[in-house]
Amino acid sequence: MADVAFLAEFVDGHPTRSALELAAGAAELAAAAGGGAVGLAYGPGAADGAAGLGAAGAARVVVLGSEAAPAVTIAGPLVEAVRDAGLVAVLAPATPDGRDLSGVLVGSLGLPGFGPVRAVRMEGGAVRCEMSTLQGAMITASQPAPSAPATSVVLVSSGTYAPSEGGSGTAVVSQAPAADSPQAKVRIVETAAEAAAIAALEEAEIIVAGGRGVGSEAGFEALNQLAAVLGGVVGASRAAADAGWVPYQLQIGQTGKVVKPALYLAVGISGAIQHRVGMQAAEHIVAINRDPDAPIGEFADLFVVGDLFEIVPRLTAEIERRKGA
Amino acid sequence: MKIVVCVKQVPATTAEKRYTSELRLDRAATEAVINPLDEYAIEQALRLKEGGVVDEVVYLSMGPDSASEALRRSLAMGGDGGVLVTDPALAGADEWVTARVLAAALDKLAPEVSLMGMASDDARGSLVPGAVAAIRGVPLLAYGSELRLTDGAAQIRRLNPTGFDLLEAPLPVVASVTDQVGEPRYASLKGIMAARRMELTTWALADLGLDPADLAPLTRVVAADPPPAKPPAQVISGVAPDEAASRVADWLAERKLIA
Ligand SMILES: Cc1cc2nc3c(=O)[nH]c(=O)nc-3n(C[C@H](O)[C@H](O)[C@H](O)COP(=O)(O)OP(=O)(O)OC[C@H]3O[C@@H](n4cnc5c(N)ncnc54)[C@H](O)[C@@H]3O)c2cc1C
Repeated sequence: MADVAFLAEFVDGHPTRSALELAAGAAELAAAAGGGAVGLAYGPGAADGAAGLGAAGAARVVVLGSEAAPAVTIAGPLVEAVRDAGLVAVLAPATPDGRDLSGVLVGSLGLPGFGPVRAVRMEGGAVRCEMSTLQGAMITASQPAPSAPATSVVLVSSGTYAPSEGGSGTAVVSQAPAADSPQAKVRIVETAAEAAAIAALEEAEIIVAGGRGVGSEAGFEALNQLAAVLGGVVGASRAAADAGWVPYQLQIGQTGKVVKPALYLAVGISGAIQHRVGMQAAEHIVAINRDPDAPIGEFADLFVVGDLFEIVPRLTAEIERRKGA
Repeated sequence: MKIVVCVKQVPATTAEKRYTSELRLDRAATEAVINPLDEYAIEQALRLKEGGVVDEVVYLSMGPDSASEALRRSLAMGGDGGVLVTDPALAGADEWVTARVLAAALDKLAPEVSLMGMASDDARGSLVPGAVAAIRGVPLLAYGSELRLTDGAAQIRRLNPTGFDLLEAPLPVVASVTDQVGEPRYASLKGIMAARRMELTTWALADLGLDPADLAPLTRVVAADPPPAKPPAQVISGVAPDEAASRVADWLAERKLIA
């Protein structure tokens, strides 16, 4: 057997976008390995929605937990579902939850861990993982050592796979047996909502990101308008989040989100390496900056040298005009 | 109450990075610093000590002899002691090996909180905190924007999609914190002098009861290449804002990025 498993988080009975992306990736790798894709489902309503992962590419789904709880609390059933299951790989999202669970898997079972990867393929019966390392200075490929256990744990960056709708239909669903783990002791004692709705940057095709140059919370209003006419969402550098102009959930970079949109517009952002690692995988990068020597000029596709306060509103108006015409 | 902060020596962000013919980072060629994200963990631990919640802050590093420099730099910020785990058998350690060794050293030091930065600058996998927690059999509280300690329990404030959660687990725990805990302090001259005089503890694998034969890395790098060069940006400069806006719109339209 050479199945490939993937972590599938559910919210309100529906798989998240990352679950659907990983389902497609697992199905592709499993086809190459001669096995099937196995969903490891958890989160509110996972039991009800699990069969639906069949449409996304899963042959089987194991439900690890269906409650609202910190993701790490499913560690016990997760470890038991992976142990001795003959899996080639377990794909996990390169998010905090995905990393927590992957780390626990690596430590509990002594498995090779990789990531975050930007491409995976099967080679000689094992995964070959391509990563951007040393803050983008190198592209490396890694494989399990010959003596390593057969199952690899792979953190997959969002946007590496596109969800597929061509799956074979319903997946066979089973419930993982309960299993204890120290992680079951982690609990939420308080939850606070700070912002009404925050767009999922990882899923956005167009991102208009603002930095220190935007200058204020009010300055971000012009970026919101540009994002709206483009059908995109707003993101930010750490400087803008630190200043309190936008919530930290919008921060892109090393300690924020890693994004892969079709278009990334960097407005008043210098392009520090910690920011760059979060957005360099964008297909098209446009920068608006008044400093012709800003580092972002070294990796943008289009670099507009000028004052953002003059250019952004005009760009919004121009796009609106063309759409109306 | 004792906190052990794990610190890793990494190449400086701005340093040029090279690989050796064995596809390992050429450490001799690069300036080494404390992993910047570990400095936030140090800052968090020192704040808890200043708040009277923690009695002792000890640093733990695994690496070559030269990693003792990272311990001295950490001690210069504050703290009570440093332990270096160094052994020739550890060259080429991966996440699994690192986690095994750190877990064994932490078992011996027996802190209530084993604290780490959210990721290391060079690999960015963030797998080690979870792996160490699993090996030690204690709860994991990762990605805290703040660590709080109460009677018998630890809490972290962790971002969720629209706000934050306060997560709690009974002590002992493995925890990691982000750069939101607050800017790391600079080392004072007095701190640097005191750190220089401090005795560091050095352990080899045998001191931890670990057998090098059990510590073969489970992963290996099979290729390392610089990323493909990107063509230089097209530049729009020295034109009136209206003209700039119109040319950006043209550029976007050509690439079908505006409907
Ligand atoms: C451990 C660590 C982790 C980090 N993680 C992240 C991270 O995840 N994400 C991140 O973004 N940063 C991160 N940083 C911070 C990073 O190093 C930079 O400080 C930050 O990205 C700078 O943000 P900025 O580009 O908005 O600001 P600045 O570097 O100050 O740049 C502002 C830019 O705006 C331009 N500008 C100003 N006014 C105008 C105007 N009117 N019109 C046009 N242009 C204008 C300026 O020319 C300048 O280039 C991290 C740092 C550390 C140490």
